[in-house]
Amino acid sequence: MSVSRESLKALRQSIAMIGRDGARHIDGSEMGRILLGHPEADRALGGGLMRAASHDVMPATPRDAAAATGFALGLVARLAEASAWVWIRQDMAGRESGEPYGPGLAAFGLDPSRLVLVSTPDAREALRAAEESLRCTALGAVLFEPWGDPKPLDLTATRRLSLAAEQSGVTLLTLRSGGHGPLGSSRTRWDIAAAPSVGEIGSGPGLPTFASHLVLNRQTGAGGPGGIWNMEWTHGERIFRPANSRHPFSPSGDRPVAAAAAAVLPFQRTG
Amino acid sequence: MQRRRRPSYPSSVQAELPLIVTTKAKGALVIAALDVAASQAGLGVGMALATARALQPALAIAEHDPAADQTLLERIADWTERYTPCVGLVARDGLALDITGAAHLMGGEERLLSDCLSRLNTQGFSATAAIAGTLEAARALTLFGEGGIIVPGREIEATADLPLAALGIEDTLVIALARLGLKRIDDLAGHPRAPLAARFGLDLLDRLDRVRGLVDSSISPRRPMPAYIAERRFAEPIGHEEDIHRTILTLAADLARLLERQGEGARRLELAFFRADGTMRRLSVETARPLRDPKAVMRLFRERLDALADPLDPGFGFDVIRLSSPITEPNIAHEPDFNGQNDLAEDIAALVERLGARLSPSRVMRIQPQDTHLPERATRFLPAQNGNAALAADWDVWREPEGAPTRPIRLLEQAEPIEVIAEVPDGPPIRFRWRRVFHVVVKAEGPERIAPEWWRTTGQTLPPTRDYFRIEDENGARFWVFRAGLFGRENETPGWFMHGLFG
Repeated sequence: MSVSRESLKALRQSIAMIGRDGARHIDGSEMGRILLGHPEADRALGGGLMRAASHDVMPATPRDAAAATGFALGLVARLAEASAWVWIRQDMAGRESGEPYGPGLAAFGLDPSRLVLVSTPDAREALRAAEESLRCTALGAVLFEPWGDPKPLDLTATRRLSLAAEQSGVTLLTLRSGGHGPLGSSRTRWDIAAAPSVGEIGSGPGLPTFASHLVLNRQTGAGGPGGIWNMEWTHGERIFRPANSRHPFSPSGDRPVAAAAAAVLPFQRTG
Repeated sequence: MQRRRRPSYPSSVQAELPLIVTTKAKGALVIAALDVAASQAGLGVGMALATARALQPALAIAEHDPAADQTLLERIADWTERYTPCVGLVARDGLALDITGAAHLMGGEERLLSDCLSRLNTQGFSATAAIAGTLEAARALTLFGEGGIIVPGREIEATADLPLAALGIEDTLVIALARLGLKRIDDLAGHPRAPLAARFGLDLLDRLDRVRGLVDSSISPRRPMPAYIAERRFAEPIGHEEDIHRTILTLAADLARLLERQGEGARRLELAFFRADGTMRRLSVETARPLRDPKAVMRLFRERLDALADPLDPGFGFDVIRLSSPITEPNIAHEPDFNGQNDLAEDIAALVERLGARLSPSRVMRIQPQDTHLPERATRFLPAQNGNAALAADWDVWREPEGAPTRPIRLLEQAEPIEVIAEVPDGPPIRFRWRRVFHVVVKAEGPERIAPEWWRTTGQTLPPTRDYFRIEDENGARFWVFRAGLFGRENETPGWFMHGLFG
């Protein structure tokens, strides 16, 4: 076998790039996109979350840091289904919000054995590590968790990250614990708050549930629709589904027509 | 080897005085070392300070600091690695260099010896040195002769006239031999061996043979000798970043050829930069897999250089740069397979390496499950570089397709005390305060009792049993809290703690 590594790599990359415009996976999602599982959200996103792009996940209030982590981890589970992924966090983030916990990640539907954990002393190193990781095409996703609103995390820096994600095809999720400032160049931005789990008061806590607010959507042009949805993460099926329904969601079901956007709130400018 | 003057003596008056270094011996101060002026004044090592003062009232006196001496000797040893990577310490003020196969790099033994001595001289050290076929011969000639280079095979003649102390034997043995009329090495060598061995032991003859160059011995190097070495020497020291990078790349290519011949790859790489003015800087990187590719090696060192807290300072330039690989492993070259699994693993190993080179390997981790049910000990973070990836199946115990997750996604480094109001003493909290925020509990499940692992605690009192609860507050935030201690049995007022956060 005389296929060189480089040419194989190039082939794989071009396969990954195929049909960023229109081709479909077996489950109905477009190539280069990943369905969340929540029909309305997927519709608003124009057919799922874009791969090879940068997405921001922010806690709605400081006390929602864990919920935001959960939502981001759900996205990781969707993106890096069988591949390795990297979680880069600034030391401060681990100290304040807790360190990633293996048994909990496994219970959440992730495979901790495919995770490479990186901790950095400051934001500058975290940025460098993120950029370096984004160049590694073998990864399914990079979860980047800086702390607060560090200075080095400016428009230029985030644009570099987005560019790196586009070039390698690796998706970047930026989890902003303890920060507020909007980031420049992401495709989507989500404000995540914890939401009461399905189940009666007095029972035990149910599945991870989020009030997911899509505040910025540049996936379908400059100002795509936004929306607020209550989503429930099902670690068994590894999809987000509407929190109020207990009907199993089938991703191979009817694909929505574009007109269904009526159910979707218009994009709101915040802050 | 001797330092002529302490540069830290600022006073010019003192600098003119004979200098002695004193140490305590049997309660009295005696001379441990002295300079040329002091020795010309009739002083000597071992003389009591009082006697010395009587002979030479004007003296500069310093206290002996063996630790500082040792550090200095180590630094000089670092510096001499410019001639050969195999350097050993001899006694308390000597260095042994194995220059086998290294002399030609300096243009021959004479050039090497004079270069070494003149450089030491400019740095303020008096040194004598000898090059001989064995370590012991060179040592004897340095300490008891005049040093110099012994033509191979002429060790017997060169050492013939040296006193027996040059064998490195005890003083009492020297005296005992002197009583037999044996004073020089030649005397001893001319004596029948069997009676000598019977009376003084084989060790004496062994030493004799080594000093006379008849039996070879090897230097025990300070640091393990790397099996693979590539180096460049520059007539004009280099200092530009570009030049340095280019040199590293050529060295990496040289090393790759050596490694390839043996089918090995480097797991650890060391770069040594020797400055023309005598200091030396060592940088090392570790790899996640046996590595040869010069470009990858270059990238690792670039990361390392970039991240240095105190940047590499070339001063007036580096005149020797050496790349070595002290730890290697067989490199199994694999064909790319079509689904690319090998390739992917290889790419991730390379990423782990690059991040580790920059941040330190202990900041690039993998999670390893541990065989314990204490939550904070159930996992460990281990450096990803050492191939610590667990198997997916190792985590199966925690996977439950049905029901809510029973373990949090984030665990606080240290469980934090919370104020709790509970309805019944051993029930779940109904309200609690954590980090100054008040939460009303609307859903709770528990307790899950986790007993202390008494078989792991030895001697101390057992930590209290924990009752864990999964709770959800009025906003939907989910927490993992525990009560430490069984109410009424282990303590009267059990404390509550926040331990983890659910998604």
